[in-house]
Amino acid sequence: MKLRAKLGYSAAGITVLVALLVPFFLMGQFTKGFASLGLHVDEMYSGGPKVRTIQTANYSIDIHRPVFPHMLQTEKPFVQLDWKPVSALPEHVSDAVDVDGDGQSDIRVSFDVPKDAKTPLRVNVEALNSHYQSMQNVGKEKFSSLIVRVDDAIVVRVPLACP
Amino acid sequence: MTTPFILGEALTLGLASGPACMASCGPVLVPSLLAERAGLRRNAGFLSAFLAARFLGYLLFAAVAWGLGVLVSLPPAPRLLLFGVVHVLLAGALLWYAYSATHACAQSCAGSELVSISVTKKRGVPGAAVLGFLTGVSLCPPFVAAGVRAAGLGSVAAALLFFALFFVGTTVWFVPFVGMGCVARNEAVTTVARMAMVLIAIYYAYLGLAMLMGRRVYGY
Amino acid sequence: MATKARTPKAAAMAPRTIGRSLLLTLPIAFWSLLMFANPQRHSNRAPQIASLITAVFMIVLFFMMMRTGNTYRWRRWFFVALGILFPVGFIHTVMVMRGTMGLPIEEMIAGRTPFCYLPIPLLILPAAFTKSLVFPGSILPSGGMSGAGMAGMAGLWLAVTLVLGKGWCSYACFFGGIEEGMASVPPRAKLRKIDPRWRYGPWAVLLAMVLLSLALFEPAYCMWLCPFKAVSEYVAARNTVGMVQNGIFVVLFAGLVIALPLLTKKRTQCAFFCPFGAFQSIFNKTSVFDVKIDRTRCSPCLLCKTACPTMSLTDESIVRGETLMSCMKCGACVDACPKQAVVWHIKGTEVAGKPERARLLFLYAAWAMAVMFGGSIIAEGLATILHVFV
Repeated sequence: MKLRAKLGYSAAGITVLVALLVPFFLMGQFTKGFASLGLHVDEMYSGGPKVRTIQTANYSIDIHRPVFPHMLQTEKPFVQLDWKPVSALPEHVSDAVDVDGDGQSDIRVSFDVPKDAKTPLRVNVEALNSHYQSMQNVGKEKFSSLIVRVDDAIVVRVPLACP
Repeated sequence: MTTPFILGEALTLGLASGPACMASCGPVLVPSLLAERAGLRRNAGFLSAFLAARFLGYLLFAAVAWGLGVLVSLPPAPRLLLFGVVHVLLAGALLWYAYSATHACAQSCAGSELVSISVTKKRGVPGAAVLGFLTGVSLCPPFVAAGVRAAGLGSVAAALLFFALFFVGTTVWFVPFVGMGCVARNEAVTTVARMAMVLIAIYYAYLGLAMLMGRRVYGY
Repeated sequence: MATKARTPKAAAMAPRTIGRSLLLTLPIAFWSLLMFANPQRHSNRAPQIASLITAVFMIVLFFMMMRTGNTYRWRRWFFVALGILFPVGFIHTVMVMRGTMGLPIEEMIAGRTPFCYLPIPLLILPAAFTKSLVFPGSILPSGGMSGAGMAGMAGLWLAVTLVLGKGWCSYACFFGGIEEGMASVPPRAKLRKIDPRWRYGPWAVLLAMVLLSLALFEPAYCMWLCPFKAVSEYVAARNTVGMVQNGIFVVLFAGLVIALPLLTKKRTQCAFFCPFGAFQSIFNKTSVFDVKIDRTRCSPCLLCKTACPTMSLTDESIVRGETLMSCMKCGACVDACPKQAVVWHIKGTEVAGKPERARLLFLYAAWAMAVMFGGSIIAEGLATILHVFV
């Protein structure tokens, strides 16, 4: 048999063996390989990493790193804030938040916390300086300005003012 | 004198913005390059015409906006109207180019001219120039960043020089596109390119119409 | 130049004996039992019964492939079952977990969007530039509908693609069976003249979607053009644009997956639109298996060209003795050829030297993947139905 044919049959045989190894070894190895590439879900979806936590008497406010759009993403830059746990929040929340940690309040966030988890949330944000945008009665229309309940936290995204 | 530092800043900003410029120009540039005839020289010619017209678009927009003092503070409504019109024109140019590419190759694929978009029955404008110009005035985010910086300079000449160097910095990233001349051109490649242009044109038409209806896109 | 002529159908390959067919089926029978017989995996009766039915189903289909020498007809049963039962299982799970097929923004922010393989080619360039994955899922499982996570699905995709190449589209894709089923319903095609340039459609969609995904930093195909949103899940519309997008999905599904296959007897979504199929075509170059035409036996009658569901055979390719790179290795052309001129082939070997050996090796690899991946989906869909009764 010619060398090429031998190589062809060998490759075919190896392919069958590889097929048998897929569920027991290969798939797991490839999964670990992809997970180790250092990739992360785009921050427009994930909200960016948490950088600070403000602790109040009963609940905490997690502040995330500001997220800026990549390329021509159709969203504004924003900063995400998480109020948790939901069970510890009062019926009406109105907090002045120091987002950048300079000791000065940057925004005032106000929203009601309904008892029924399925009730849609609305938020008002008053910008206390020019770096942030105010929002009135905003729900969850856009990724860059919203209020939603995610598990045991209420997530608010406040858009940054554009130049 | 601070000028060398400012000019260095312009070049650096351009180099840093290159990927975003490639991403924003890619949907227009890549299919139109593939619809052109093969050959490094021809593709280099296309790219040169595209970039030159894009540069013209940049400078024109910058000069007019700087002169009016509204580069940074252009109100949202007229800004949306302007970009909406540009996007619709870009969609139209892409469709017209896709149509022209069919006829150009049908007549003579051995010719060295770039695919022309017919303006009158006898004369045409190289499609590369039309597409490049419209891309240049469509105001991508890196252009805004350069504009914010340039608006703070003392004179329109300084602003234009800033833009020119910013442009040079971004252009470095476009050089590899010349390599697309090595891709063989056959019916498959040119048909795929033209079909892709139609799809992209439909999307740009949607963006343009959305902006004309007052809906903000690109976050600004 | 190939010319069209009508020839009477010649006798097919003589069927194998039952004993020999059973012998050849034994490895697949062991594999199926290994994949499905796991008492700790399911404590309920419905999944146990579903697993048993699926194992028997896959074993019987393989036995029939061995007995009759026909591949396409029996593979199609599996593929159509997969195309029907995947939406059954998936939609049921989605409704139980969320109460709606619409994907709310909360789930996207929480990273619980199930990852499908279709956006894989769209994620490559944005990830290369910024190390960001433009998909609202999780890298690893994070509960809810996140399933195996994006790394898990990517790992599965790579492993199966290494084995099958574009055979993914005939043995693994859990959507293609819907249109393959539709295409097999009418006895004859009503629309027979199809411009062959439509075959370039998937590449055009791939090019446009890859460029737009990089520019807009979102999975453009998932946001605008995926017809299978109609039978899985879609982003819950929060505004007019969302409603328009969902409308596009329904229209594309109705047109490309239901109506056109009924009219043309072709897998029109796969052949003329699917960007993932175009992407998988690249891996046909790396696969060791392909389909060739023995020109010493070929008439040419062009029955293979008519039978091909994705127009992967042209007059020119038949003269060259090969299929186009869009070939999905479904076996339709091989089974349609009255002269047994179209054959399964291993690269490097003689064309039609030992075609049955090539076919067997390919089918062992392909059916192992089909049992492992598609079979588990079929079992899940069956279990969903059986829960009503058991």
